Amino acid sequence: MSLELEKVSILKQGSTIFDPVNVVIKPGEIATVMGPSGCGKSTLLSAVSGSLDPVFTLKGSIRLYGQDLLTLPMEGRNIGILFQDDLLFPHMNIGSNLGFAIKEKISGEQRKQMIDKALKTAGLEGFEKRDPSSLSGGQKARISLLRSLLAQPSALLLDEPFSKLDQTLKAKIRSFVFSMIKKMNIPALLVTHDPMDCPGGGMILNLNKEEG
Amino acid sequence: MMQMPGQEKSRIFPVFVMGLFCITVMAGLLGTLLPSINYLPVIGHTQFSLSPWFDFFAYPGFQTSLFVTLFSGLTASFGAVSLAFLFISFSYGNALWKFFEKILSSVLSIPHAAFAIGFGFLIAPSGWLVRMVSPALTGFIDPPDWIILNDPAGISLGIALVIKEFPFLIMVTMGALGQLDIEKILLAGRALGYKKEQIWLKILLPRLYPHLRLSIFAVIAYSLSVVDIAIILGPSSPPTLAVLILKWFNDPDVSFKLLAAAGSLFLFFIVLLSILLVYLIERSVYFFSRSFVTNGKRNSFLARIKPMVFFIVMCTIGFTIISLVVLAIWSLTWQWRFPDFLPAVWTLKFWVKGLISSFDPVMTTLFTGMAAAFIGLVLTIGCLEHDVISRKNQAGHNKVRNYNRYLPYFLYLPLLVPQITFMAGIQLLLVIMKMDGYWVTLLGAHLLFVLPYMFIALSATYLAFDQRLFDQAMLLKRSYTSVLFQIKLPMLLKPILFSFAIGFSVSVAQYIPTMLVGAGRFATITTEVVNLASGSDRRAIAVYALIQQFLPMMIYALAIIFPKILYYNKKGMQV
Repeated sequence: MSLELEKVSILKQGSTIFDPVNVVIKPGEIATVMGPSGCGKSTLLSAVSGSLDPVFTLKGSIRLYGQDLLTLPMEGRNIGILFQDDLLFPHMNIGSNLGFAIKEKISGEQRKQMIDKALKTAGLEGFEKRDPSSLSGGQKARISLLRSLLAQPSALLLDEPFSKLDQTLKAKIRSFVFSMIKKMNIPALLVTHDPMDCPGGGMILNLNKEEG
Repeated sequence: MMQMPGQEKSRIFPVFVMGLFCITVMAGLLGTLLPSINYLPVIGHTQFSLSPWFDFFAYPGFQTSLFVTLFSGLTASFGAVSLAFLFISFSYGNALWKFFEKILSSVLSIPHAAFAIGFGFLIAPSGWLVRMVSPALTGFIDPPDWIILNDPAGISLGIALVIKEFPFLIMVTMGALGQLDIEKILLAGRALGYKKEQIWLKILLPRLYPHLRLSIFAVIAYSLSVVDIAIILGPSSPPTLAVLILKWFNDPDVSFKLLAAAGSLFLFFIVLLSILLVYLIERSVYFFSRSFVTNGKRNSFLARIKPMVFFIVMCTIGFTIISLVVLAIWSLTWQWRFPDFLPAVWTLKFWVKGLISSFDPVMTTLFTGMAAAFIGLVLTIGCLEHDVISRKNQAGHNKVRNYNRYLPYFLYLPLLVPQITFMAGIQLLLVIMKMDGYWVTLLGAHLLFVLPYMFIALSATYLAFDQRLFDQAMLLKRSYTSVLFQIKLPMLLKPILFSFAIGFSVSVAQYIPTMLVGAGRFATITTEVVNLASGSDRRAIAVYALIQQFLPMMIYALAIIFPKILYYNKKGMQV
């Protein structure tokens, strides 16, 4: 159950770019995909998220809680992504950025409470009216994660989310992200080239390509 | 690092342009204001009074004329802007978008008058569209007596304006899109579960709008005050305000010039009011849409009109192309009876006649267009170089002030004030100073409209030039001018020639400046086309309209081919 990748391989012009991947990620678990740049780890992530470039073809199956993801468009998969850049919308304040993520069925007062609560967990109380550009790198990274989680995704993808942060900040944000994933109890797939990013005790996938 | 002495002198370019634009527009407005309060010494009116205004408001048909101006102008602007926004939201990056990107410059190069004539030949009761289905589907043996062309409500005029303004808005949008992280924002939005259209509506259009605001205002001003298309396709009794004003201005009875001055100032107020209204709508939309943006709704009703938007965009492209085809057919026609799909007898006679009789106007058009585009190029590059220099020296001791910051507002002045308003004023001032009817003043008038478009076309590419190449060359050569002329400008040859072609095509299309500032002494191909349009032989008009279309096309073709030949063996330059 949960997020399952079965015999997933990606082909470009008829040849696979890595050996078939098999993995089952349970809720609250984080699987890490490691490998040097160019090994296809970001491509694997875009296959799961649904933003795979049409030059690639995908083989195998990807299921989330038993549902086949490959037939769904990106926006229909209910999967959150944390990118390298924070990608906060620069013309909207923090509160609107977060409100944008909350689902339609949740109404008025409750939306506001969710935003307040989310900001509190990140230690950013009272930031609703702030302009994104006035925030520090670490604050932006936390808001970006909160935004992804407020959409109540069924799984989370992390695309080198810590690579642009400086060393001291990295450890802090990392543990904040991991603890939030545990709390939300959703499966997560992390892509990184930095071995330090792997959560202790998590699964590690190395993307290889057998020669021959 | 590479500060050279005297670089702050580059400010002369933006200062000159801002001065020229500001002074001419202000002078033009003054030149209309004085006659509108009954002051025009050359015809013996020196007693200030409001009588021209009273005469203007009491003119028979004034109200109908105002109504048709507002109706055609505002609905056309609204239509073009909404179509552009919808098209971007649905198509950004898809095949239709890429196709449009390719044909955009050729579509923009089509002069308004030539397009309007072809469009008229297409939609008229005896036009090609009716012929295509007659008599098979309609049973018509004679043209039906529908009033499609020159319809009293200005609907055909409005449709033609939408078809002409839509590609302009797309061009401006393409320039602005490069400054926004479209792909990344789309990804972020979709990762939150939003459909593409909804991301455009909620996030991207609000960010795009400030970049397009001035262009949208220019579209409104243009649609409300257009003359050449309105003469060809607009209603005739009464015509739109701008056409009425031109008619008064050219009236043999010189006292009508007072009425024309009051009218053109009134038209300016109408434009100002409309722009103000649109600005207020923009502010209130921003205000009231806040809760809409964060309400979490991920699906959009807009998805349902997607096929319709594609259909309309295909129609605008289709109509533009078919209009040219029908012009070509008419220009080769000897005999073409009504329900026939094609002419019965073909001839080259009208081409021979047209080419001979249009020789002088074509020469005037070529010289004026070349001169205006060349001066425009020098000024554009001068201003952009000033921008580069002052950006580079932002931090150092030799800080160069950037005069370019306010330049766009000045460049847009001639596009926001109705042409007829300040061109009429300038003409009246020139008459007073006995300086009317010189080619130099005509050239200056063209420059006012050529320069803004050239600047819009060149700036993004010019400012994106890799500064490291320039610095490297400076270290080797140590001469600013030789690096500029031997390295930078040759590398930018393609966009520079392209901007030149745009400037030339804008000059070719000018009708009002040529008519008014030229004082009727200079016939260009455009003035000939518009003058022929009312009532002449369709075959002769078609030849003239095609010649008008051919001139900018030729320059565009040269702008594309020349760099290809020059750099045929340089792979790095063939991007």
